[in-house]
Amino acid sequence: MRKGLTLALALLAALALTVGTFTSCGKAMTNKVTVWCWDPNFNVYSMKQAAAVYNKAHPNVNIEIVDMAQDIEAKIISGLQANGAGLPDIALFQDFRIEQFLHDYPKAFVDLKAAGVDYTKFAPYKVGPMTVGNSIYGIPFDTGSTGLWLRTDYIKQAGLNPDDYYGKNLKWADIIKLGVAVKAKTGKPLLAYQSDNFDMLRIVVQSTGGQFFNPDGSLNLRSDAFKKSLALFKELNDKGLLYQVVGWSDWINAINSDQSAGFLNAIWMVGSVKSRPENKGKYMVIPTPLIEGVSGAANASNNGGSSWYVFSSSPNKARAVDFLKSVWATSTPDNLAFYNTILKGAGAMGTYLPSQSGSNYTAADDFFYKSQPVYKDFAAWMTNVPVLKYTPNYVPMRDAVAHATLNYFQGKLKSIDDTITAAEAEYKQVMGQ
Amino acid sequence: MEKRGTYQQYLNRFGWKCVAPSMVLFCVFMLYPILSSLYYVTRRWKGMTNTFIGLGNFVRMAHDQVFQAAIGHNFLFMFIQVPLMIFLALILAVLLNQGIRHFRGPIRLAIFLPSVTSLVVVSVLFRVLLQANGMLNNVLLGAHLISTPIGWLNDSGWAKVTIILAMTWRWTGYNMVFFLVGLQSIDTEIYEAAEVDGASKVRQFFNITIPLLVPVILFSAVTSTSGTMQLFDEPNILTWQGGPANATMTAALYIYRQAFFVNADFGYATAMSYIVVLISGIFAVVQMRLLGDRRSK
Repeated sequence: MRKGLTLALALLAALALTVGTFTSCGKAMTNKVTVWCWDPNFNVYSMKQAAAVYNKAHPNVNIEIVDMAQDIEAKIISGLQANGAGLPDIALFQDFRIEQFLHDYPKAFVDLKAAGVDYTKFAPYKVGPMTVGNSIYGIPFDTGSTGLWLRTDYIKQAGLNPDDYYGKNLKWADIIKLGVAVKAKTGKPLLAYQSDNFDMLRIVVQSTGGQFFNPDGSLNLRSDAFKKSLALFKELNDKGLLYQVVGWSDWINAINSDQSAGFLNAIWMVGSVKSRPENKGKYMVIPTPLIEGVSGAANASNNGGSSWYVFSSSPNKARAVDFLKSVWATSTPDNLAFYNTILKGAGAMGTYLPSQSGSNYTAADDFFYKSQPVYKDFAAWMTNVPVLKYTPNYVPMRDAVAHATLNYFQGKLKSIDDTITAAEAEYKQVMGQ
Repeated sequence: MEKRGTYQQYLNRFGWKCVAPSMVLFCVFMLYPILSSLYYVTRRWKGMTNTFIGLGNFVRMAHDQVFQAAIGHNFLFMFIQVPLMIFLALILAVLLNQGIRHFRGPIRLAIFLPSVTSLVVVSVLFRVLLQANGMLNNVLLGAHLISTPIGWLNDSGWAKVTIILAMTWRWTGYNMVFFLVGLQSIDTEIYEAAEVDGASKVRQFFNITIPLLVPVILFSAVTSTSGTMQLFDEPNILTWQGGPANATMTAALYIYRQAFFVNADFGYATAMSYIVVLISGIFAVVQMRLLGDRRSK
């Protein structure tokens, strides 16, 4: 009899432990907001500044910011599939990914336009991806305005004068000449290139206002913009102007260990460049080069950028919406100061238009060559960025194009048409069409 | 047949009560998902919506060359890496058991340690070492073994070699421990008798050690094979999402990417999982037939 009792008590204890764990997880705290994002020096930092501003008016609200590096999307998808279990209140999404989420999980996000956010105060090209019909779902965050980052010390070593290039709207042909000269004298390839990622290709294609998809959502890799961009990269590679790496961290490493004389990417690289003190005074940023022979080409493009979204399954969503609206989307002196701070502190340029008159936006930045006011330049270039819709199938397209491009560079595919055909074939197979 | 005493019955019931919680957990977390996967697999999913397509997922798989290539990579790794690793583990076990006298403990530890280190940490470190200008290439260039840096991570052929090397480095120690245990159970008198008969060490290895270790080899082979069919971490982090350009894409990684990044099509992912399980099962049965029968003779 005693054995049976002991067993029953043991089972009960085990059950209680399990149930206890579950209920303590589900206990909601009313004055708490959880935010998921990545990159401690950029997104986490910016959110922390925003939380500080909000806490001035609401000191009892605890805004917890969690830094999720690799698998934030997989975790979010798991949570969405579980009808919201385990999800935070606010999460950061990259602009080119959100359309797939809005398409697959239409009821998962809070309509912020209906909550009263004034979207006329945000840059229009950021609002595009987050709009579905009459609803707008996110708070736009950072811009991905791009430029060509060059190491002035290597340009000088090659016997050239950086001032000949500073601030000029150049064509890719000019850049190739520069790259060949720098390579000859310093041995450094001009651009660090992440071969498994097609950001650079995307930057060039998007500088023409070009798209990868037709308006009806079908794949379009046969546009002039795409073909000319591909040819440009082949030429850069053949002339030895690309330092190829695989993987994001390896790309950052290549740049910060002086393997290349520059790179083509967006303003949000400021944090990574500044994280290495030896870079001081060496970098200048010039407008995105122009690709010739494509109508609609500009000396500006966009790469990346993210926005904040609120999950409708969140128990704290009212508080989360209030936080985002009152700090990120309202013009008060404290908020404008906040946008100003994160620009200087992290190189995070928000897309909230009233904030663009802040002092840091126009100030000279002495970390750069000749104290170039980089933010002023990026903000100016941002106004030339054409509007883009990414469509829900961006990721498989990106992978297919990146793989085909890599094979083209390594000589496995012989011509641009072969590359395009290979990319289309892989896209069809992965999508099951 | 004696009537079962009440004590017997009591033990029976007690036994069931002990097992019951575990059975409940098994049913909820293993049996239920397997049964519900039958529902998933006949549908095309897109986030939260789905349409019934019968065997459409399997038809799609027949046309999906990326998946077929991924399975091919799994086979490649399996046929090259598993025998290589088992042979290496055997030799190391024999050396540690009979050959090496000093520092046995530390050497064993050093060989076993890779299998318990965090896979993510290992992959990140290996990535740094295997860069075009990384340490491994510098060492090889300095020793004049190669004249141009090898693209361990950039070249589609070398990337496969990298994966095989990484897997061997990681799991040899793990299998070696099993073989060490197996070697303990072999009677030393057999070796002594063979010495007397004039057999060399090599002969002893192939004619005594290996046949007597067949059960352990079978175990290693089956677990390694099914593990290789599920290979995920190395292609994901070491060669970065099955790169370069899907050269090291494996079935498990492709299933993950389909489910989470491409389409949110869990039906298709489930269908692919079925095929992976089927292949693992077939290999396990084949191996047990080939190696298991010999034991019963």
